[in-house]
Amino acid sequence: MTHRSVSRDHGSRIGADPRRIKVGVGELAVATDGETLTTSGLGSCVAVALVDTRTGVRGLLHAMLPTEDGRKRPTARAGKYVDSGIESLVAALRDAGADPERLRARVAGGAEMLDLTDAVGPRNVERVERCLDAAGVPIVASDVGKDVGRTVQFAADGRLAVRAADGFERTI
Amino acid sequence: MRVDVRALGACNRLAERGAEQAAGALASLTGTDLAVEVTGASVASGEDLAESFAGRESIGVSVGLRGGLEGEAVLAFDAAHADALLSLLPGGQGMERSAVTEVGNIALGGFLDGWANYLGKAIDMTPPQYFEADGAAVLPDGALAGDGVFLFESQLDATATDLDFSIYMLPDSGPFRDLIVGKSAPAAAPGAKGAGGAGATGAGVDDTATEANDGRATAIPYESLSTFASLAKQGSANAADNIGMMTGLETSVDVSRLRFVPLADVPAEVGTEPHAGTVFELQGEPSGYLAILFEEESAAQIAASMLPTEPDEPLGGMAENALCELGNVMTSGFIDGWANVLGTSISHSPPEFVHDIGASAMSPLVAKLSRRQDYGFIIDATIRTEGIQAQCDVYALPDERELAAALGRLSKS
Repeated sequence: MTHRSVSRDHGSRIGADPRRIKVGVGELAVATDGETLTTSGLGSCVAVALVDTRTGVRGLLHAMLPTEDGRKRPTARAGKYVDSGIESLVAALRDAGADPERLRARVAGGAEMLDLTDAVGPRNVERVERCLDAAGVPIVASDVGKDVGRTVQFAADGRLAVRAADGFERTI
Repeated sequence: MRVDVRALGACNRLAERGAEQAAGALASLTGTDLAVEVTGASVASGEDLAESFAGRESIGVSVGLRGGLEGEAVLAFDAAHADALLSLLPGGQGMERSAVTEVGNIALGGFLDGWANYLGKAIDMTPPQYFEADGAAVLPDGALAGDGVFLFESQLDATATDLDFSIYMLPDSGPFRDLIVGKSAPAAAPGAKGAGGAGATGAGVDDTATEANDGRATAIPYESLSTFASLAKQGSANAADNIGMMTGLETSVDVSRLRFVPLADVPAEVGTEPHAGTVFELQGEPSGYLAILFEEESAAQIAASMLPTEPDEPLGGMAENALCELGNVMTSGFIDGWANVLGTSISHSPPEFVHDIGASAMSPLVAKLSRRQDYGFIIDATIRTEGIQAQCDVYALPDERELAAALGRLSKS
């Protein structure tokens, strides 16, 4: 398994823009140096943001589907599924110096966008809750469900800014 | 020749990894964050490519490839953003040619590293050539000559500045053919480790190659793929005609392409702007989804053109009904030709209206298909209306295996 955008080498930098790491669909990334982790276009997909409250090491997952459904099929994207994605994210955070016991979670997305696609959003959210519970990671805040798309920014302070398609913004 | 979809997936994954390496090299050089938005393989005729690149001006560098892979690779960016790029490069504005050439050389070197690893053979690059090109002249030599070529394309997007790069690679058909048909022929061999044969060391490549064990269903005759690309173009033209009939507006298809892409990249391609439109489930062979998305303003204008009176809300109930009706006739136009040529029966669900971030609207469709496949063929068409400024994008996402099976039968009949 691979993490497409973990700890990217940013090289020299011009200007004072805060550094951002974009997390694509089915991807996960870790920030150890104050970077803002962002992911956009969450519909039925779910974003799981984890922070080690002491070291500030953070990680963000953008998962598409709840589970591998028993098909142990390797996939190119570590974050495709909620279950294996959370496992990979926790492992990546541990590698980056986080203590899994100090992790706190914020969750966004999992909307029920279409009737055509049989509630994949709510099932993603349910799976996130189960997996985090099993991993002993408490969910401190969430903005999930409904039928609205979302974009999130996970800032250095560990808070998650959620902007909905209808313009509504909140920080959780 | 038969194209093994699994091997094509592996090649696409290499192109994607290469683009990430190139993005990393460019990020280091320019001090700006770059992310790879999408990497795909187009199946297009020279004529279609020329049409889709019309009106663009690019600058960049090209290199010839010899050794493990033969052909040509190009790194290009939009000439309109030249000043922004040059201000970031070592040497700045005064060093246009040499700075762009150096950056292109380093980025393309990064792009090709992964392929060389996978092939277990060195790939030699000829010295980089700087170019300024109009339209499709940016594409590697030979792209416009063929009846249908695989053109690998990656789009790199700068997060902070207005800079978009593209990388195009057109491999010569000979050695590349061995890759995409799978040297492990018959392509159906279960568990075949990638397509490259000896020295297949590319990390993560065999995950794609072993993704499907029912390999026979994933081998597609190339000629059928080419036929399907033409068919998709006809479908787009039919859909555009149907808009014209319903609205009385003159319509045209700007771009219609058949591409093989990682499904997870599709939402990013649609983008984060608000869109409105309709989504359909396709049933039959192939099954799949079809989404017709307008940017908000276009949706409101096209709906208004169909309504007898100005609606109270630009995208309220009346507009929704109008867009659903339009979606119905467009979808019929789009898929009618498929069923005829494939000799199958395809029907579609009633329209489901969506009004949301474009990427969010696509995400459940992509998620649903992703249960069975990581990569997929996507047909995207841009339809434009004259008179009022309205544009819509049609995304057709057929089930890969069912499409492969139907195309396979096509070649036997």
